[in-house]
Amino acid sequence: MWIWRNLLFALDSAWQNFWRNAAVSMAAVLSIMLILLLAGASLLLGHALGQVLDTYRQRVSVLTISVADDTPLPAVYDFADQLRARPGVVSVRFVTKEEELQRFSADPRNQQLLEQLEGNPVPAKLEVRVARLDEIGRVDALARQWRGVDHSDPTDYQGDFVGNMQRLQTWLTIAGLGLLVVLTVASVVIVMNTIRTAVYHRRQEIEVMKLVGATEWFVRGPFVVEGIITGLIAAGLALGILVVTYRPFVQTFQSALFFVPLTYDPRFVRVLGQDLLLGGTLLGALGSYIGVRRFVRL
Amino acid sequence: MVIAPDFDTAPAISFEHVWKTYPNGTDALRDVCLSVPQGDFLFLVGPSGAGKSSLVRLLIREELPTRGRLVVHGHELGAMRRRRLPRFRRTIGTVFQDFKLLPRLTVEENVMFALRVLGRSSRAIALQSAGALETVGLHGMGRKYPCELSGGEQQRVAIARALVHRPRLIVADEPTGNLDPVTAWEIMQLLLGINADGATVVMATHNRDIVDLVRRRVVAIERGCVVRDDRPGRYHVDLAEPAVRP
Repeated sequence: MWIWRNLLFALDSAWQNFWRNAAVSMAAVLSIMLILLLAGASLLLGHALGQVLDTYRQRVSVLTISVADDTPLPAVYDFADQLRARPGVVSVRFVTKEEELQRFSADPRNQQLLEQLEGNPVPAKLEVRVARLDEIGRVDALARQWRGVDHSDPTDYQGDFVGNMQRLQTWLTIAGLGLLVVLTVASVVIVMNTIRTAVYHRRQEIEVMKLVGATEWFVRGPFVVEGIITGLIAAGLALGILVVTYRPFVQTFQSALFFVPLTYDPRFVRVLGQDLLLGGTLLGALGSYIGVRRFVRL
Repeated sequence: MVIAPDFDTAPAISFEHVWKTYPNGTDALRDVCLSVPQGDFLFLVGPSGAGKSSLVRLLIREELPTRGRLVVHGHELGAMRRRRLPRFRRTIGTVFQDFKLLPRLTVEENVMFALRVLGRSSRAIALQSAGALETVGLHGMGRKYPCELSGGEQQRVAIARALVHRPRLIVADEPTGNLDPVTAWEIMQLLLGINADGATVVMATHNRDIVDLVRRRVVAIERGCVVRDDRPGRYHVDLAEPAVRP
């Protein structure tokens, strides 16, 4: 009951003070909204890049090993089992010469070539799917040492492309984390200064509270709630702007750069909403907590 | 009715060789030794800058003694943990020269504020604050704002807020400083009434007329030292009287 009364007091007091210092509060809301907008836009961009990278990753995470025509079938199965036993390998599929010929001839560009050649010119294949891209180089090295490999064209491994993709992914993660740290610090400083201003405006009230025996948390509570309200309103506004602009942005991107596989993902909007609202709440709470901890002491 | 201070039990306030030195090196209080029994009424007198306000700030634990022991209601304030401070302050009522009322709250809300901080129920808050306002003679003025009241009335509100949680000690720093003589005397009557109900009252003042008229214990401070402790006392001592009571 006592806690409930204190919570109500904190909520009521925070709401009143938010509107009483409306100019300062709205300045803080706008600043944090801009920061969350930037954070949300980078999340969306990161997600879009992730989608594109995923598509490419799907393509390069399958290594095709060409099998020499004179390799006995049991040796192929033995090697396939050996590959399956590796921890990073997801699946190994054997594609016979006939299957591969069908696939090859399905492409109209190969028709002329097939007419000039006799018999089945394409080798049998082993398609190895790996879980992580760094595994694919090791599988390639293993395949090249295998006796049954077709030495004229052993694998379709594209080392440079895989390496570049891994480097791009690492740099994107580092840049994202760096941006997150900068944005977090900026928001916390803004909320802290807003709460500092609010503390200054209410110094008389705080003095009276202390004199009549209020606990530190009774005095600090309304400020922390005020910080949370600021963060939540800013997050709501940022989310609204991002939701409205996300689809048109993807459509514009698709029409301008049609070769990049970027798509609109409605499921991500929910994730974005949760992240922004949680982020706004935590930033508001953290900034105001640090602010009142420094400036409100009994 | 005047009740006699209780000399038999432990004192409400005990200063034992208390020093207060500020960071700039100024000694605001020097080796203060003072014992105030429960139910006593004590005037703190002395020129401006003598150390009266420092003593008051130590009593409400806004400041800590630099040296010595200060015990209030059995708590040694120098050793008190911060989390125990709210509970301690709830045993004290404070009244200041500048009233310290919240201008955005009504008279009633100002008084209620002290109880809301304690987490009391709405019913208890309404009953107790109405009682406190009646005690200070402001019945029916609860819905007014401080700016609509005279200085004397504002000080009455401050007193109502100080006594609404029934403290055992009232610390008043120049409560009549901004008031005319008639109003000051009315405020004085209120404080005497609170003392008659059993609360200890420590009042720092420059008001010679009141001190001389009331004739209660007077502790004079000069340059941070207690130079006189008379019961009953006067604002100024005659040259024939001893300078410091043993």
